[in-house]
Amino acid sequence: MTDLAPLRQAQPVEEGLRFTTLPPKDLRNLSAKFGWSLSDVELEDIRAHFKKVGREPTRGEAETIAQTWSEHCKHKTFNGPIRYSDGKKSRLFKSLFAETIVKATKDLSKPWCLSVFKDNAGIVAFGKSGRWALAVKVETHNHPCAIEPYGGAETGIGGVIRDVLGAGLGAKPVLNTDTFCLAYPDYAGPLPEGSLQPGRTLRGVVAGVRDYGNRMGIPTAGGGLWFDDDYRLNPLVFCGTVGVLPAWAVRKSVKPGDLVVAVGGPTGRDGLHGATFSSAAMAGRSDRAAVQIGHPLNEKRVLDALLVARDRKLYRAVTDCGAGGFSSAVGELAKECGACAGGALVELEKAPLKCSDLEPWEIWLSESQERMVLAVPAKGFAELERLFRAEGTNCTVIGEFTGSGRLVVTHKGVKVADLDMGFLHDGMPKVERRAVWSDGARPKTRPPAAYARGAGAGHADRGRLSGILTRMLAHPNVCSREWVIRQYDHEVQAGTVIKPLQGLRHDGPGDACVIWPVAATSEWNDRSGFAVGHGLNPSYGKLDPYWMAMCCADEALRNLLCVGADVSKASFLDNFCWASPEAPEQLGGLVRAALGCHDAAKGYGVPFISGKDSLYNQSRDEKGRELGIPGTLLITAVAPVPDITQAVTLDFKGPGNSLILVGVTKGETGGSLLGQMEGEGGEVPKPDPKAAGKAFRGVAAAIAKKLVLSSHDLSEGGLGTALAEMAFSGEFGASLELDQALTSPPMLSDETILFSESPSRVLLEVSPKDDLAVMRCLKGVPARRIGSTTANPVIKVSGLDGSIVLESHLVDIKAAWQRTLPELLK
Amino acid sequence: MSLIATGTTYLVEVRLRAEFADAAGLAALAQLQHAGFAAARSVRVSSLYAVCGLLNQSHVQQAAKELLSDGVTQEFKLLSGAPVLDGMNHWRVEVWLKSTMTDAVGESVRRAMAELGLPEPERVRCGTAYRVLGRTTRNVLERAVRRTLVNPVIQTFTVTEAYD
Repeated sequence: MTDLAPLRQAQPVEEGLRFTTLPPKDLRNLSAKFGWSLSDVELEDIRAHFKKVGREPTRGEAETIAQTWSEHCKHKTFNGPIRYSDGKKSRLFKSLFAETIVKATKDLSKPWCLSVFKDNAGIVAFGKSGRWALAVKVETHNHPCAIEPYGGAETGIGGVIRDVLGAGLGAKPVLNTDTFCLAYPDYAGPLPEGSLQPGRTLRGVVAGVRDYGNRMGIPTAGGGLWFDDDYRLNPLVFCGTVGVLPAWAVRKSVKPGDLVVAVGGPTGRDGLHGATFSSAAMAGRSDRAAVQIGHPLNEKRVLDALLVARDRKLYRAVTDCGAGGFSSAVGELAKECGACAGGALVELEKAPLKCSDLEPWEIWLSESQERMVLAVPAKGFAELERLFRAEGTNCTVIGEFTGSGRLVVTHKGVKVADLDMGFLHDGMPKVERRAVWSDGARPKTRPPAAYARGAGAGHADRGRLSGILTRMLAHPNVCSREWVIRQYDHEVQAGTVIKPLQGLRHDGPGDACVIWPVAATSEWNDRSGFAVGHGLNPSYGKLDPYWMAMCCADEALRNLLCVGADVSKASFLDNFCWASPEAPEQLGGLVRAALGCHDAAKGYGVPFISGKDSLYNQSRDEKGRELGIPGTLLITAVAPVPDITQAVTLDFKGPGNSLILVGVTKGETGGSLLGQMEGEGGEVPKPDPKAAGKAFRGVAAAIAKKLVLSSHDLSEGGLGTALAEMAFSGEFGASLELDQALTSPPMLSDETILFSESPSRVLLEVSPKDDLAVMRCLKGVPARRIGSTTANPVIKVSGLDGSIVLESHLVDIKAAWQRTLPELLK
Repeated sequence: MSLIATGTTYLVEVRLRAEFADAAGLAALAQLQHAGFAAARSVRVSSLYAVCGLLNQSHVQQAAKELLSDGVTQEFKLLSGAPVLDGMNHWRVEVWLKSTMTDAVGESVRRAMAELGLPEPERVRCGTAYRVLGRTTRNVLERAVRRTLVNPVIQTFTVTEAYD
C-alpha cells in the first residue's frame, strides 16, 4: 500500500476558499452550489470540526460528509428527535424509528429473524432443512424516475437487486416486485416545465423494470399500481427483491488487512449526487447529472461470479455501491472492521474508469451502477480475480481496510480525504423537529375525488349497484394490471407457483405470488416456498395515517393468507414516502403512520425486518405552489408457504360451492372507493388485530386441511369487487344474500354491505360437504355462509329486502375490468 | 474503451419487413396523435446501430445479418449519406442516447461482435428511427416528439423531412 508520508496537498473545496472562516450565508450558498443538501447546523458542525482539526476540508471530504449525512443515507428524520403533539398530548421521540418499528421487532423477538435493520436487506429463516435464509428488500427510486422514468426504474430495480446481493455474504435473487404510485395516465392538466405526462412516466417505469429484471433472469411477479393526481410531480417507484442465501452466509465481517476490492462495472461521472439529490425537494427539476441508465448484463456477470466466490468463501464481507458510490460502500464496510475503530485506505487511481477526465472526488462519489465492494483476505484474491475475469467483469484492489479509525482516500499520491470514522458516522448533529397531528382539523372523509375519466363510467343499465360495481372494476385503482404484468417475465427460474395472473384463462387478478426457489436451493424434495404480498392505500392516509398503516398491514397479511402462506411466521417491510418533514403537519402524519406500524406489528405479531423512507417528495407546480404527495406507506409482507402444492388461488373452482364471508362488515366507507366515486363519507376502516389474528388462524387452519377451494381478501371495492374478481376469473357465477352477512351495526344499506372496505375480511369458496368442517375451523370467528357459486355466468345479489339489487353478467364486468389500462395507454 | 473513436463509423438500420405489423410503430403513432400531431397516419420503428472501429463493410454486414437482425421478420441496410427529401409528407425521426449516457445494448453488441470472431469495435451506440407519415410542420412534429418519444435529459433527436 501507499506510504502516506509523501502525500501532497489535497484539493480544497474551492480554489482560494477558506471554508472554516466563511459566514453562515456563504456556507449555505456553497452547499446549494455543490448540491450537498446540508442544513445550517450541519454546515456549522463541519466547520467546527475542521477548525478543531486545524485545517481546511478538501472537496473530497466535504462531498463525503454531505453524502454520508444525507437524508437518503442517514435517515435523519426517522433517526432524529421529534417533538410530536396530538391535541393536548405531547411526546418526544429520541428516534422515531427506534421507538416504533425497531421496538416492535425487538419486543416480538421472533426466532426466524436472522438479521434485521443492520444489513442491506432483512434476512429471515427459510425452508425445512434450516440450511437457507431469505433476504428481502424494497427500495424506492422516486426522484430519478420523475425526470427519467426508464433509467430511474432500471437503476431502481438494479439497486435493490444489488442490495440483496450485498445482504449477508450474498443472496441469489429469485423474485422482483414493483409498485408504482402515479397520477392517472390520462391526466391532461397543466404541468410545470420538465415534468413528464403521467402516462409517459408509467410506460417508462414499466419498461425500465421489465428490461432490467427480464435481462437479469429474475421473475417479476408481485407489486401493484395506485393512481392519484397528487403524484403528478412526484411519482413513486418501489422496487423489491427477494433472494435466497445459505444460513451460514448471513453474517459478514471485516478484518484489518483485508483488501478493499471493487467488482463490476467501471466508474464514470454518471449519478453524481444521487443521495443528496434524493434528500431534497425537487426545485426546478434541474439536477440531471443524477440520472443513470442501468446495464443489467454487467450486473448478471457480477451476480454469477459473486455467488461462486461466496460458496468458495473467498471474501469476508460485501456491500453494494449505492447512493454515494465508493464513499458509502467502503465507509460502511470500514465501520464494521472488527472490534477496532475501523478504517480504510483507498487509492482511487486503481479504480477502473469509464473516462479519464474524472476528478478524484468524482471517482469517490460516482454512483455508476453495477459495482460492489468486497472485503477480501489477501490470500484469496488471486482466485477471486480469476473468477470475475472469467465472467468478463472487473475485479480490482483499490485499497485496504485498516484499524486506524480513519477513512483515508488518495489519488496518485494526493490526499483526497482523511476523515475520522467517528465524526463521519456519529458526528452528525441531531436537530429536533416538530410534528403536529390534529385529528379534529381533518374531515372524516375527503371531498370525493370522483374518477370521471376513463373506461367504464356511466354503466348503470342493470341497476344502480350493478353500475357502481362496473365502474369500480373499471377504476384504474382496481382494474386489470395485465398491460403491465405481461411485459414482465414472471416465469423465469421456473419457480413461480402462484402467478400474478390467475384463473381459468390466466388473466384474473391475484392476491400474492408464491415462489418455490428451487433454482437457488436445488432441494427438489423440499416443497417449501414463500409468498409476497403488499398493502397500500394512500386514500386512507388522507384521513388518518395511523389507520392507513394498520390497514396496509392487515391487507398485506390477508393477501398472504389467501394463497396459503403461514402468516404466523410472516415478516413486514415498511416503505414510507412523504412530502417535506420540515412541515410539522406532514411530519405529524408520518409519526402517526410509524405509530400505526408499531401497533400493527405488535397486534398481528409480525416483526418488521427492513424498510426505507423517501422524504421530500414535493415539488413546485406550474403556478409555483408546493405540491406534496399524499403520505404513502407500502407494507410488504413475506411468509413461508409450507407446501407449495397446497397453495390456493382466488378463482371459483366450480358451481354449487358455498361462499363464506369471514369477518364483520361495518359502515367503513371513509377513504374507500365507494367514498371517492359516490362522495360518501364514513369512518376510515379500523382493523382490530386481535380479532383479525383469530380469524386468520381459523382461515389458515381450513386451508391447511385442504377445505378451501378459493379465497380472496376484501380490499378496494369491498365484497362486490372481490366477488366479481373470483367469479370472472373462474368463469362461474354466484348468488349472494346480503342479509346473511354479519354487520355492525346490524342495519347497513345494501350498498354499504357490498362496497364497505372493512378490514380483516376474506371470502372463501368451500365445497358444500366441507361447510361444517370449515365453520369448525372458524369457531369463535365471525363468519357466515352468504351464498353459493353457480354455473350461470352471472353474479346475482339479493338485498336486505329480498329483491335482486345487483345482477351483472361476467362477460360485461370482466370486459370493464380489462379495458381500462389499454384504453388509457393506447 | 475510449470515448473518442478513431476508426470508421458505420450506421446500420434494422427494420421489420413491410409485411409484418409493427406494434411499436402503432404505439408511437397513438402517442404522437395524442401529443398534438393529429394528422399522423403511420409510424414504422427501426433500430439503429452506429458501429465504430477498425472494421470494413463486410464485417459490419456480417454483424448486421448474424447478430443484429432476424432474417425471417427483419431486414437491414447500411446507411450512407443523408436521407433524401421526397416531398410526400414522410418524416424521419432519429433518437440517440447522449454520448455521456451508458449504452448497455451497445456495449453488449460490441462484445458480441468480438465473440462472433469479428474485430471488436471501439464503440457501438444504439438508437431508434421512427419513419412517420403525416402532413404536418417540423415544429408540430418536434413538439410531439419531445413530449412522447424523447427525453431530452438523456437523449438527442433529429427530425428530417424524408422517408429513408
